[in-house]
Amino acid sequence: MYAYDNFDQTIVRERTAEFRDQVKRRLTGELTEEQFLPLRLMNGLYLQLHAYMLRIAVPYGTLSVRQMRKLAEIARKYDRGYGHFTTRQNIQFNWIKLEQVPDLLEDLATVEMHGIQTSGNCIRNVTADHFAGVARDEIEDPRIVSEIIRQWSTFHPEFSFLPRKFKIAVTGAPNDRAAVQWHDIGIQVVSGDDGERGYRIYVGGGMGRTPVIGSLIRPFLAKDQLLFYLESIMRVYNRYGRRDNIYKARIKILVRGLGPEEFTRQVEEEWAEIRKTGIDLLPEEEARIRKFFTPPAYATPSEPVASYDEAKEKNPQFARWVEVNVHPHKMPGYAAVTLSLKPIGGIPGDASAEQMEGVADLAEQYSFGEVRVTHIQNLILADVRQADLFALWQRLTEIGFATANVGLVSDIIACPGLDYCSLATARSIPISQRISERFDDLDRQYDVGPLQIKISGCINACGHHHAGHIGILGVDRNGQELYQITLGGAADETASVGQLIGPGFTADDVVDIIETIVGTYLEVRKPGEVFIDAYRRVGVAPFKEKVYAGR
Amino acid sequence: MTKTKEPLPKILTANDLLQGGTVYYTASGEWSPHVTSALVATSPEAVEALNTAGAEAFATNVVIEVAVVDVNANGALRPARLREVIRATGPTVYRYLNKSVSPEK
Repeated sequence: MYAYDNFDQTIVRERTAEFRDQVKRRLTGELTEEQFLPLRLMNGLYLQLHAYMLRIAVPYGTLSVRQMRKLAEIARKYDRGYGHFTTRQNIQFNWIKLEQVPDLLEDLATVEMHGIQTSGNCIRNVTADHFAGVARDEIEDPRIVSEIIRQWSTFHPEFSFLPRKFKIAVTGAPNDRAAVQWHDIGIQVVSGDDGERGYRIYVGGGMGRTPVIGSLIRPFLAKDQLLFYLESIMRVYNRYGRRDNIYKARIKILVRGLGPEEFTRQVEEEWAEIRKTGIDLLPEEEARIRKFFTPPAYATPSEPVASYDEAKEKNPQFARWVEVNVHPHKMPGYAAVTLSLKPIGGIPGDASAEQMEGVADLAEQYSFGEVRVTHIQNLILADVRQADLFALWQRLTEIGFATANVGLVSDIIACPGLDYCSLATARSIPISQRISERFDDLDRQYDVGPLQIKISGCINACGHHHAGHIGILGVDRNGQELYQITLGGAADETASVGQLIGPGFTADDVVDIIETIVGTYLEVRKPGEVFIDAYRRVGVAPFKEKVYAGR
Repeated sequence: MTKTKEPLPKILTANDLLQGGTVYYTASGEWSPHVTSALVATSPEAVEALNTAGAEAFATNVVIEVAVVDVNANGALRPARLREVIRATGPTVYRYLNKSVSPEK
């Protein structure tokens, strides 16, 4: 993985020292809250309902064991012993004290981490496919370009005061596991007709109160032209994005307002100008970054492991976990493993300090010392030898991260909701806990098959409800929590916006309604047909009929 | 004739600047982490006094996110809105994090 050079280390240390001084001045009253607010947000420090919350960037979701252990230490030292992995592949700590933040950031900087650009109207932490570098369908490792974008966008002076926040996601494979079409800019590595690799560029995707799937504005961009092209998009947005209305300030509104064709024309026009000014990314710089992502020293492909097959035969639970949580790897004899942070009745994305340390130990022992965070709020050990899977499963079971539910009904995305968040209008976590408890029988989940439920506690959609096969949006209706349901959303390469099925439901009713929707799917599905395909075939009508029968 | 709805009693709440925790303005002019210690205002004048106290505490950098919120004062003092109940008692999802059972908050 990427390692900081002196330049990276210096800017993080300087920023940490700068923020220490700003906190000091705030505590002495030299800075007012109004003056301090943008400064703390630039460092990822929010105020939530119960305490300050610090959001820490995990670039494209990649963590070393050293970093994971430091996060565990921070959970104990500065928080209440746990952290929360988010839908942006970051981690948040919920119980932070302002006076301790400078020390916390200094601790973080020792492992090349920070909260810079995890908030505010700037280019946020870039996200990527969590199977980067190991997926069989991958054309190119998306971490390389993600790291280039990270370096380009960090403290970029022209893009530090954008009309609104800006999110970029990258996939290196045709099967999109990074939800690129839901981002302000989505980048997909593609192969041209002559085998040349380049990028497909989507712009103007987004969730929030106006869900939009990104528009394809360039089917193929040569690799060495990316940064200038991104710069052109940012310039058009920076120039014409609405700064007068926060609800209309995202790039999706500009793209929709101008129309994708006109927006593209303006980008291309800007690009033609920028290209006259110099050279884009230097090949030697790309090569320098690429070296950090050299594949690890895989063992020579071995013969099929007899003990592994025997363990599966003898232990059906292990066999099921392999089937559900273990993914194919480009190297024979290896596998990528999803650690489910969705135990039945648990809090999606939460991990205790002990669990973080446990994961770090396992990553060290079994996966070349690296952990990934997924936007679905799980963790990945990407490079596990097949021969080690049984031992790993046993250890994960002890830690509590071995629930065989990845991609199934209880693998729910949920934002922190009204239990923590000052923007929320309803709770998300208890709804996800109750749904997973209702479907606690893993055999039943397995029978239902792939089904993504995503829950947001307000219209800002941090829980990605618009992209859920079943989306749940919590709102406040006359002081009561009310849950609206959408069906048919998708976050993959077939991205689609979920459609509202009708009036919302109380917290008491919503779990029954989800069960009714699942039951309706089981009635209408054809053999082998997954939920989203069945929904796309039959439409909303049979679901509405069942859900609102007698209401 | 429509009967005008009686306004609910009110309390003054904020977050502590240093710690970030939820706090309530008390009768002695201090800030307490316990909602049950909050000074309850039942008249327009008393509510105005809460607003003044809140503005002053914000200006002197004691607290941030100052707000006057409704409470139900029949029986145990309890905020009227769920958001404020959760601010007062902690997340509803972790029993051990709930202020009512945790001496830490």
